[in-house]
Amino acid sequence: MFKQKILHRIFLAFLIFALIFIIPFSLTVHKELKKMVEKEEKAETPEEKERIHSEFQTQFRDSIVVFSFYTFVFAFFLSLFFSRSLLKPIRDFFEGAKSIKEGNLDVRLEVINEDELGEVTRSFNEMAASLQKKTEELKRKELYVSTMMDPLWVLSDNNVITDVNPASAKLFGYSRDFMIGTSVFDVVDGENSKILKSNLNFEGKSSSSIFEISIIAKNGSLIPVLITCSPILKDDQVTDKICILKDFRREHQLRDALRESRDSLESIMDSIEDDLLVIDREFKIVRANKAVKAKKGEGVIGNYCYSTLHDLSMPCWQAESDCPSKKVFETGRISKTVHRHASIAGNISFHDIVSYPITDQKGNVTHAIEFIRDVTEEKEHERKITQRNRELTAINSIADILSRSLNIEEILSGVMGKLIELLRMDGGGIYLMDEANRELICAYHRGISEEFARITRRLRIGEDIPGKVAATGQLITIPDIESDQRIERSILKHAGMKGYCVIPIKGKERIVGVFCIFSFSPHTFAVEEERLLNSIGEMTGIAIENIRLYEEMRNLYKYLRQRREDDHKSILSLSSKLTADLDIKAVMNSSIELIKGAFKADLAWLLEIKDQDLILKAASGLNISRGETIYTKGTSSLEWFTIEKNMPVIIPAFSSENRFHFSDYLMPVYKSAVCIPVHAGEKVIGALTLYYVVSKEIKEDDIHFLQIVSSILAVALERSETYEKTLLEREMSDTILQSISDGILTVDTKCRIISVNKTISNIIGVNQEQILGKQCCDIFNYSRENNSFRWTLGACLNSALERRSENIEADLITAAGRKISVMISSSPVIDSDGKVVGVVNALRNVTREKEIDRMKTEFVNTVSHQFRTPLSAIIGMTEMIIDGDVKDDKAKEYLTTVLSEGKRLSEMVEDLLNIARIESGREPFREEAIDFNLMLNDLKKLFTNALKKKKGKLTTVINGDIKEFTGDKGKLSQLMKNLISNSIAYSDEGCSINISIAQKDDNLEINVSDNGWGIPEEDIPHLTERFYRGRHGQAVKGTGLGLALCKDIVTLHGGNISFKSTPDQGTTVTLNFPYRRKA
Amino acid sequence: MSKVIVIDDEPFILMMIEDKLKSAGIGVITLKESINAVSLIKKERPDLIILDWMMPELSGIDLCKILKNDPETADIPIFMLTAKGQESDQQMGLKCGVEQFITKPFSPKALLEKIEQALKRN
Repeated sequence: MFKQKILHRIFLAFLIFALIFIIPFSLTVHKELKKMVEKEEKAETPEEKERIHSEFQTQFRDSIVVFSFYTFVFAFFLSLFFSRSLLKPIRDFFEGAKSIKEGNLDVRLEVINEDELGEVTRSFNEMAASLQKKTEELKRKELYVSTMMDPLWVLSDNNVITDVNPASAKLFGYSRDFMIGTSVFDVVDGENSKILKSNLNFEGKSSSSIFEISIIAKNGSLIPVLITCSPILKDDQVTDKICILKDFRREHQLRDALRESRDSLESIMDSIEDDLLVIDREFKIVRANKAVKAKKGEGVIGNYCYSTLHDLSMPCWQAESDCPSKKVFETGRISKTVHRHASIAGNISFHDIVSYPITDQKGNVTHAIEFIRDVTEEKEHERKITQRNRELTAINSIADILSRSLNIEEILSGVMGKLIELLRMDGGGIYLMDEANRELICAYHRGISEEFARITRRLRIGEDIPGKVAATGQLITIPDIESDQRIERSILKHAGMKGYCVIPIKGKERIVGVFCIFSFSPHTFAVEEERLLNSIGEMTGIAIENIRLYEEMRNLYKYLRQRREDDHKSILSLSSKLTADLDIKAVMNSSIELIKGAFKADLAWLLEIKDQDLILKAASGLNISRGETIYTKGTSSLEWFTIEKNMPVIIPAFSSENRFHFSDYLMPVYKSAVCIPVHAGEKVIGALTLYYVVSKEIKEDDIHFLQIVSSILAVALERSETYEKTLLEREMSDTILQSISDGILTVDTKCRIISVNKTISNIIGVNQEQILGKQCCDIFNYSRENNSFRWTLGACLNSALERRSENIEADLITAAGRKISVMISSSPVIDSDGKVVGVVNALRNVTREKEIDRMKTEFVNTVSHQFRTPLSAIIGMTEMIIDGDVKDDKAKEYLTTVLSEGKRLSEMVEDLLNIARIESGREPFREEAIDFNLMLNDLKKLFTNALKKKKGKLTTVINGDIKEFTGDKGKLSQLMKNLISNSIAYSDEGCSINISIAQKDDNLEINVSDNGWGIPEEDIPHLTERFYRGRHGQAVKGTGLGLALCKDIVTLHGGNISFKSTPDQGTTVTLNFPYRRKA
Repeated sequence: MSKVIVIDDEPFILMMIEDKLKSAGIGVITLKESINAVSLIKKERPDLIILDWMMPELSGIDLCKILKNDPETADIPIFMLTAKGQESDQQMGLKCGVEQFITKPFSPKALLEKIEQALKRN
């Protein structure tokens, strides 16, 4: 049909085009025909007509042929051109279909005409879009399936696996190719096969089935899975089944772990002896341990806790009891309480309940765990303890009363008062046994009328309740007298007494009396109270007996005291002697004297073991010097025997004693003796012996007393020796301390001064005793310049107290106002317990050392300068001569300078050596008479040039006749040269120098004065120090040795040198030489 | 021709330096006293000054301070001849503006080299 349509189109096109060409062609032919007819009409001849006619025919025929040909060709191509619009969509369809087949679903065709083809094209496009959507959906689903974490199986209706996803292969290990075509029953065992089979049967149902089985994996292990299987139905027939398998291994593990923890929780719960419940917010029991189930039965789960545990029909808190679990639900915090339960039988029990919250993941309290412990026994114990405590307190207070006094009446009234107070009674009385008359006599009463007391003052044993108690020794309690038949005397009833109790007062072996207590209201006495009363009775009885015993003892004591008084006096006298005096010799002698007197002995001596011999320490009644050897080791003497046996030895009579050898010092007049070992601690250090010229009976208490005395003597002996040693050591250290030149300052931990030596007191200018106990930093000159010193000392002390030894230098202004440099060395003093108990500070005066150090530096600088200048000439000039810089006369001049500078260098070395020699004492002293006139003239000549340069003058005066003076001429001349050259050097132009020599008494005085620059005051004390260069030292060359040499020369002559100077006015140097020099 | 003023109280030092510098074609003015040196220096405007540290009346370092504090002479380089080799002294000198220290005893040849370098530099 489509083809027909195409042909029609072509034909129609052809016709149209043919007509388009034929009509103009026909009109042209018609026009040419008309022209030919006209021509033919005009033709004159037929031939001509015939020719015209044939020409026309030929022309017409040719035109027809050509025209037809072109018409046909044009019409054909035009029709083809027009039919193109039909063919293109068809070709597009073909291409599109081919493209879709190849998988390109994006193809869309262009709608060219709004005709049937256009419709078809649109349908094609929609189909392609729908196909693309479906395909994408399918791809997406495929992607889901392939990326699913859980395995997915597609089963045919006969349970053969038709497809699986990659997760399946991953989980079970079977490849996809292996799985496809396999029956599902091939991957499960028998038991699981049954479950699988029943769950894969969808006959009569269309819903999914969910079940759990285990699949046999490729490696043979069983993998638990949860399968969700859904049928795919077509016309109500199951065509396929989709199974999604969930790996349930983790869940199985969790389930196992959960089961295990539940089991262990249950075993823990069951192992707890206390009742344990888990209850929910409705107070229903969710879980209970064995203990609860054993008591309340297995069916407690689901019951209300209050009904199960407390037999209550309503919650505890409504029954006005605390409910810890309610608090737990309200607050989320642990809560505890104690419940008191009374059973129907009236038994009271106590339960200690502790409730803990159980929270869910959000922190909400979902359950509470209650631990319930029956604490009835503990409570009972507690009660008993409280009761016992009360009893003990009472007994204690009564014991206190009993022990506080030795007066029976006081004790009885005190105990009675306590009993009345303890039992809340209203009164009572005490009867004491009169054994001689076999009756009880009232010793104390309280709360009863005098009349009643009078009537009941005496009771026979066995009479009335008190009499019965005294007879039997058994306590009697009567809750209410009125209803008791045992009361014989009606007066008790008349007195209005109700509660009544009689307690026996028992001594060790007998009844010493009774306590009666009463109340005006009935009083039931508890068993514990009765027990307590019995105890009190016994205590009181023993106390009364003790008091009585004490009375007896006191009497005995009085008797004994009298006897011992003399002994004590002796001991006292001995002790006071020993403590008051530390001179061992005096102490021992007077002690032995005392002992001899106290024991009325004829001779007493104390022998001490020293170097294995027994030497005499002290004696009375014998004239031997202390330290004498009495018995050598091995002598069988009484004393050695006593020491060896370490016990007192008594010889009642020498006549019957032949064991011992007696010293020759002992005259053979003694008849008896007693010897006591003398102990220092456990060690026997000697023996004390008393000799009697009569036979003396030595009693045991005498021995005892002697032992005490010997112990005191031993202690005194030891202490005194130690003291002597300590004293000696202290003396030695004190001497050392005082004699050392360093200042030693010892302080305690609070920096208070314990000791100082002389050096320190010299520095601070205060007596040693005046500064003891003062704060260490306060004793030094309190000027501001000393702040730094005090601070440094404080730092040293602190370091030492922290166990660090310090050495720090600081400047200190002394009491005399002199500034000195001090090296402070502080070290901690550590006692035997390792504790720091103080600090020892050594203060060393290092001023001189520092000064020497400074002078050395000064010397190096000065000498190096003085040496370097001539060396410059020697080195520089010789170098220039060698290099040929100077020649001939110039070279000679250079060499002359080199020579003179060399000489100058040599002189300087000589100067230094001179000083060194004089100071070392090796320089010979060439003594001769000095002619001062000659010397002064020589000096004038020597300084002529120098004075001329400075336009100065030198005048010399010798005052009067001076006695001949002897000395070392060379050295004195050197001395004068130095002084004059100094005067010239340290003066301006026009200087005037004057030398005067005069005899003053036994001295020769030389003054050298100038009108120069003068010397600054601070330089004067240092002028004669070697290498010292004063303030003018910068301006004038020199070695700093000149005046040092002068001083050495003056000293060599036994004289002295002094300086007087006023800056800018001049200086006078005074030399004083004695005529009589000391050798 | 460069001009150098040398001030030292030791005549032989002056002679030695003068001879050495003159042989190298450097003009030299020598002065034995430091006291009147400032006016001479201002008048002569030397290219370099050599001073001895230790001189009577006015020490080399004091003279150096005067010269360095005077704008007219502050830019003239100063060499200091010194017997003092101590570090602290040298630091004091450098602070005062001394360009170089020549420690006695010295080699005239080495001194000349240093002077020539300084003259070239300045």
